[in-house]
Amino acid sequence: MRSLLGFLVRRFGWMLLTLWAVYTVSFILIKLAPGSPFSAERAVTPAIEQQLRARFNLDGPALQQYTDYLWNIFTRGDLGWSLKLEDYSVNQVIAEGFPVSASLAVFALVFAIILGVSAGVISAVYRGTMADLSMMTTAVLGIAIPNFVLASLAILLFVFMIPIFPAAGWGTLRQVALPAFCLGAPVAAYIARLTRAGMLESLNREHVRTAFAKGLSHRTVVLKHVLPGAMLPVVSYLGPATAGVLTGSLVLEKIFALPGMGSHFIYAATQRDTFLATGMVLTYTVLLFTMNTLVDLAYAVIDPRVELE
Amino acid sequence: MTEPQPPHGSPSSSDADRSPSQKLPGSPGGVGTGNPMAESPVDPDHVSRGGRGHAETLTRILEESRGVRGVSLWQDAWRRLKRNRPAMVSLVALILLGITAFLTPLLPLQSPLDKDLDHRRFLPPSTEPVVMGSRAGLKFREASLKAELQAFEAEITEARAAAENSADPEERAKALRRIDNRIAVEHPFNQLWNKLGPVSFAMVRARVALFGDYAFPSLFGTDKLGRDLLARVFWGARVSLIVGIVATLVSLLIGVTYGAISGYFGGMVDAAMMRIVDMLYSIPFIFVVIYLVTFLGEEQVKARLESFGIDQITIFYIIIGAIYWLTMSRVVRGQVLSLRQEQFVEAARTVGASSMRIVFRHLVPNVLGIVIVYLTLTIPAVMLFEAFLSFLGLGVSPPDVSWGLLLNDGVEALSSIKLFWWVVVFPGAALAITLFALNFLGDGLRDALDPKMKNRG
Amino acid sequence: MPLQLRRAFMILAVVVVGLAVVWAARFDAMPPAEFRFQNGTDPKTLDPHRATGQPESRLLFNMFSGLLQLLPEGPPDPETGVQPMSPHPALATSYDVSADNKTYTFQLRRDAVWSDGVPITAEDFIWSWTRMLHPETACEYNFQLFSVPYAEEYANSVVEVGDRVEVELWDRPGERQGSEPNYQNFPRGTLRYGTLTEITRPPEPEIPEDANKLARAKIMADWQSQWVYTVDLAAVRDGQPMWDEVTGTRSYCRDLASPMATAETEQTHGVLVAFNKLGGIEAPDPYTFIVHLEDPLPYFPYLATYYPLFPVPRHVIEEHGKPMWTRPENIVSNGPYKVGLRKLRDRVRLVKNETWYDADMVQIESIDAMSIEGQNTALNMYTTGQLDWVTDPPGSLIEELKKRDDCIIAPQLSLYYYELNTARPPLDDVRVRRALAMAIDRDQIVREVTRAGQTPAYRVVPPGIQGYDPPPGMEGSLEDARALLTEAGYPGGRGIPKFTILYNTSEGHRAIAEVIQQQWQNNLNVKVDLQNMEWGSFLDKRQQKRFDISRAGWIADYPDPNTFLDLWLTDGPQNNTNWSNLEFDRLLEEAASESDPEKRMQLLAEAEAIWVDEVPAIPIYFYVGLNIVKPHVKGFFPTPQDIHPFHLLRLEKD
Repeated sequence: MRSLLGFLVRRFGWMLLTLWAVYTVSFILIKLAPGSPFSAERAVTPAIEQQLRARFNLDGPALQQYTDYLWNIFTRGDLGWSLKLEDYSVNQVIAEGFPVSASLAVFALVFAIILGVSAGVISAVYRGTMADLSMMTTAVLGIAIPNFVLASLAILLFVFMIPIFPAAGWGTLRQVALPAFCLGAPVAAYIARLTRAGMLESLNREHVRTAFAKGLSHRTVVLKHVLPGAMLPVVSYLGPATAGVLTGSLVLEKIFALPGMGSHFIYAATQRDTFLATGMVLTYTVLLFTMNTLVDLAYAVIDPRVELE
Repeated sequence: MTEPQPPHGSPSSSDADRSPSQKLPGSPGGVGTGNPMAESPVDPDHVSRGGRGHAETLTRILEESRGVRGVSLWQDAWRRLKRNRPAMVSLVALILLGITAFLTPLLPLQSPLDKDLDHRRFLPPSTEPVVMGSRAGLKFREASLKAELQAFEAEITEARAAAENSADPEERAKALRRIDNRIAVEHPFNQLWNKLGPVSFAMVRARVALFGDYAFPSLFGTDKLGRDLLARVFWGARVSLIVGIVATLVSLLIGVTYGAISGYFGGMVDAAMMRIVDMLYSIPFIFVVIYLVTFLGEEQVKARLESFGIDQITIFYIIIGAIYWLTMSRVVRGQVLSLRQEQFVEAARTVGASSMRIVFRHLVPNVLGIVIVYLTLTIPAVMLFEAFLSFLGLGVSPPDVSWGLLLNDGVEALSSIKLFWWVVVFPGAALAITLFALNFLGDGLRDALDPKMKNRG
Repeated sequence: MPLQLRRAFMILAVVVVGLAVVWAARFDAMPPAEFRFQNGTDPKTLDPHRATGQPESRLLFNMFSGLLQLLPEGPPDPETGVQPMSPHPALATSYDVSADNKTYTFQLRRDAVWSDGVPITAEDFIWSWTRMLHPETACEYNFQLFSVPYAEEYANSVVEVGDRVEVELWDRPGERQGSEPNYQNFPRGTLRYGTLTEITRPPEPEIPEDANKLARAKIMADWQSQWVYTVDLAAVRDGQPMWDEVTGTRSYCRDLASPMATAETEQTHGVLVAFNKLGGIEAPDPYTFIVHLEDPLPYFPYLATYYPLFPVPRHVIEEHGKPMWTRPENIVSNGPYKVGLRKLRDRVRLVKNETWYDADMVQIESIDAMSIEGQNTALNMYTTGQLDWVTDPPGSLIEELKKRDDCIIAPQLSLYYYELNTARPPLDDVRVRRALAMAIDRDQIVREVTRAGQTPAYRVVPPGIQGYDPPPGMEGSLEDARALLTEAGYPGGRGIPKFTILYNTSEGHRAIAEVIQQQWQNNLNVKVDLQNMEWGSFLDKRQQKRFDISRAGWIADYPDPNTFLDLWLTDGPQNNTNWSNLEFDRLLEEAASESDPEKRMQLLAEAEAIWVDEVPAIPIYFYVGLNIVKPHVKGFFPTPQDIHPFHLLRLEKD
C-alpha cells in the first residue's frame, strides 16, 4: 500500500514538472510568434491596442507575464480570459468543451477495446482461417485510411444510403455513434493486431500447454490463462491510444460539428488566443499524463512481476 | 496519430528486463557471425557410450557439424521473410512504388498542376487521349509541348549567344540574369510543373524526347479545377513518401541515439533520460506542431529560415520526426539494457573500448533488427499525420501536391448530392495500398526477426 | 503488488469504466427548436458594441431593436428577385429631418421595455452611444457616428486646450487613488465637467530606432498617461454643466507618478471631450431623441437600423460589466427574441421575447443558431432535416444546388477584390496595376470557379444602388495589358519582380488565387507566388502593409456608394494599399456635405472614376447571396445586404 501511495505521489510531482515544462515551451512559442491577438478587419489605433493589451496583462515584460499567469493558476486556478470568444473565460470554455470531448473519447476507447480485443482473440484462436484473414485485413483498413476519409465514407453510408444516424451535432446517443466509431476504428484495428500477436505468443507458452494438458475446456484456457498475458501490450498501448483519440477528435469535431475542446484548440493556436491555447495545452497534458499513469498502474496490476517505481 | 507500439513488452521505461521475448540473440563481436556449434543437436546416447565408440562418436559429430551451416541472424531472417508471401509481395510493391515515384518525371504523365477550367472539370475516369501542351490558355506554339520546347530553347540559345557577345561584363551579367528569370517564368516545363530540381528537369526533357506530346489519358479522372488526377497521385507520392521516409529517419536518428545512450549508461543517466521521455510522452504533440507550423508559416520567420537555406518542407520533416522518436528510443533502450549484460560487452570493455565505441559499434548494430521493424511501422503513422495536417490546412501548400492534400480535396467532393467518387477513391487507394504494404512488411519483418522462431520456421 | 490490492484495483477499474460509460451516455436532451439555421463561426460576442461579423449580426438584429429597422419596401426586383429594404419605425415611431438634412428628431415609443421590464427612454440612447464611442470600448463601428459633432474626438481621445471636457475620476467601483485600474469602463467613476485650460507634458520620450509598432505604441501611451490636464471646473445643474460658471480649478493626470504631477493632482481615467453634453445628441424629454450631424448624410436612417447604434441595457451592464453581462442568465433584450441558452461552438438558442412591443406578430417561438462551419456538414444536416436554412453551401456543389427550388441566389452589395500594395514595386506603377487587372479573365472565374452566378466586377461599387449612375468600368483587352506592361518596362512580362498573393485559408480563396496565378502566367508571363494564412495573421499582415497583393472582401454597411468608396481615403483605417489621391479625398468630402442627392451621386461617380483609373485594388466579382431554405419556411427573401428579420418568418405546418 505504501509503495502505491509513494508511486502516486511521485507521479504527481512529475506531472507538475511536466506541466511547468509544457507551459514554458508553450509560452515561448506564443511569444515568439509574430502577430497580435487584437487584429481586426479595421485597424485598431495603437493607443487602443495598447490599452487592450494592458487590460489582459499582455504589455509588460515577458517574464512578468509568465510569472503572473503561473501565479494565477496556482492561487486561483484561473486560466485567464479568452481573447477571441470575448464573453467567456478559459475555465468556462474548457468546462463546456471537456464533457463533450471526454464523452466521445470514452465511447471511442471502450468501443475500440471491446471490438479490438474480441477481433484479436477470435483471429488468434482461429488462426489461419478466413475469419482470421478477413479480420486482420479489416484491421489494416482501420490503420491505412485517414480518419477524415473514413468519416466521410461513414457519413455517406450510414446517414444517406442507410439512414440510421443523424448527420452531425451533439446531444443524443445516436449522434455520438458515428463519431465514436470513426474515432475508435484505428485504435480498434491496432488493438486487434496487438491482441492477436500477444495471444499467439501466449498460446505457445509453457503454462498454457500445461493447462491444455490438464484437460481444461478450450474457452477457460483462452480466457483465463492466455488472455491476461496477451493484454499487457494492449494496456500499455492505451496511453498512446488516448493521445491518438484526442488528436483524432480535432478532425472529427469539425466534420460532425461537435462542440468539444478540439476545435477550440485549433482556433486558439492559429488566432493567437494566448490564454485559451495555453489552457487547452495544459488540460490535455494533464489528461495524457493521468492516462499514462493509470496505464502504468494497470500494468503493474496485470503483471505480477512488475514493481511500481 | 497513434504512435507505433511494441507488440511485446511494455513501453514504460522501467521494465527493460521484464519480457525476455524482446531479446534478439546478441552475437559476440557483432552481426553476422554465428556460432556453428550452438544449434547442432547432440545425442546424449552417443556420447555416453564411452571408450571405443568415443572416437567414432566424435567423428560423427564433427561430420554432422560440418553439415550444419552457420546461420547468421540476417540470413535466417531473410529466409523466413521469403516464405511470408504477403510480406514479400509488399516488399516488391514498395520497391516498385519507390522506383516509380523517383522516375515520375520520366513517365508520360499529364501536368499535375495545369488547370483546364473551361473543359475538364470533374471529368470521370476516361481513356480519351490527350496531347501535352494543347490547352489553349497555355498558348504553346502549335499547341504542343514539344514544339514549344524546341522553339523556346532555340530562343534562349540565341539570347544567350547575344548576351555572351556583349562587351561590358555588367551588361552581360544583367542580360544573363534576365535570361534566367525568363526561363524561370516562361520555360514550358516551369509552366507545367513546379520547382523541378536539376535531375527532374533532365528527366522531363528525356521524357519529351522519348514520348513527345503523348501523355496517359485521365485514367483517374480530373478534379474540381480540371487537373489530371493520375499525374497528381504520382507526383503526390513523391512528396508523401519523402515526408514519410525523411521524418522517420529523423526520428530514427534521434531515437536510436537517445535510447542507446540511455540504455548503455543505465543508472542515474538512464533514469533521468527516461523521465524526460515520460514527460514528453504526456505532451499533446499535435498542439506543439500546430504552434510550430503556424509560427514557421510567418513571413519573417520563413524569410530568415530561407536565408539559411532551409525550406519549409524540411522543417516539416524535422517536426514530424521529432514527434515519433519517443517510442523508438524506448524500444532501443530496452534492447540495449538487456544486451548490456551480455558477455560481448564485457569483453569489449576489458579490451579497453570506450563507452561511445561500445555503444555505437557493438550495441547499435544489434538493435538494428527491431529498429527496422519500427521504421516500417512509423512511416505509415507519419503519412497519416501528414494527411491530418493537410486537413487542418497546415500541410504542404499548393502548388505542391501530397496524398494528404489530395485526400482533403477528395473528401470535399463527396456529398450526398453528387458523388465525384474518383477524386477520393484513387488517392485513397494509393495511400491505403502503400500503408497496407508497409504494415504487412513490418509484420513480416517482426516475425522473421523473432528469435523464438529461429531455425524453426 | 499484493494480491488484494491487485484484485481491488481490477474491480475498481471495471467499476470506473462502467461509470464513465454511464456518465458519457447521459445527454440532456433538449427539445428541438422550431427553426434551426447554420450560423457559421461561433459568435465572438453578443455585445452590439463589440461585434463585427455576420454570425453576430444575425443574432443581434433579432435580439435588439434600434431607432429604426430594415423592412421590405416595394416589390422585389423583377430580374434578380432581390427585395429592397428601407428604414422603418422601430423604437422610434417617427422622425423628422430638418431642412438642411442635418438634424434628426426621433419620437420614441412609450411602451418599449427591456425583457426584464425596465423601460427604454431617450437617455438610454445617449448612454449607449456614449459607450459605443468611448475609447475603452474599442467599438470597430464607431466611425458610423463620426458625423455627430465631437464624436470622432471622443472616440480617439483627442482633446485640445479650450475644449469643454469631461473628467472621469479614479473612483470606479473598487478603485482608490493610486490603485490598479478597474478595466470595466461602465459604470464610470465620478464625472466632472469643465473647460480645459492647459496640458502640461513631460519632455517627449526618445523612441529607439528599431522599436516595433507595439513598443512604440507603449512608449507613446505611457508618455500620454503622464500628461497633466488643468481644468476649470463647471457647476452642474440638473445634470447639465454650466460651462461658464467656474467653481474651481483642478489638475488631473492618469499616472500620479508623472514628473509633471503635483501634490494636488488627482488621478483620472481620462480627460475627453464632453461629447454627450455638448448638444451633438440630445434627449429633451424621455421620449424625444435629437441627433445633429455635421454632414447631411442621406444614408443616416440606414445607419440607425444597424446594430452598433442600438441601445444597450445600462442597468445590466453597470451591474455585471463586460463580458458577464452577455451571459444568457444576465442579458436582456429589447428585440423580438431573447437568448434562451448558449452553448459554445454548438448553438445560441433564441426564444420569443414576450415584452417586445410587436410580440404578437412573431410566429416562431424558438430558433437555434447552430455554429457550424463545415459547408458539407451543414448541407448534410439540411438534407437529413436537422437544419432549415443553410447560409454557406459547399462551393463545389453549386452547379447541382442551383437547379433546386430551395436554393435562393441573389446579388448582394458586396465585392471580392485583390488589394494592391501601391508602395511596393512593381505595383507602384499604375500601368502594371492596370495590366494585371486587365489580364484576369473574370468570366472564367465566375463561370468555372465560383459558379453561382456572380457578376464579374470592373468597378468598386456593386450594381443595384438606387439613384447611382456608375462610371464605366475598367476596360481593356489582353493586348492592351501586354502593351501596358511593355510601356512600364517589362516587355513580355520579362524582368518583372516576383510578388505574392496573400489570402486567408479557405478552399474558395485558394482556388481563385490559383486560377489567377495561372491566368497571369499564361496571359502576361508574370509569375506570382501564393501564400495562405489563417485569419488573424492574415489581418495583421494586411494592416501592417506587409504584403504585395492581398485578397479582400467588403459588404455594404448601408446601400450607398459611400460605404465602398470611403475605404480608399488617404490613411483610412481600412486602406491597406498605401494609395492616396487627394482629388479622390476631396470629392468624397464634398459629397459628404452636399445636400442635393443627385449632385452628390455625381460627385461619388467622379470619385469612383478616379478609382477605376488608378486601380489601387483589382475588383474581381460582386458576390451573390447563397441561401438554401426549406420550402416550409415562408417570408424569406433575398435582400441586398443579406439581412433576414426573423420576426417576418412563418413556418408552414402541413
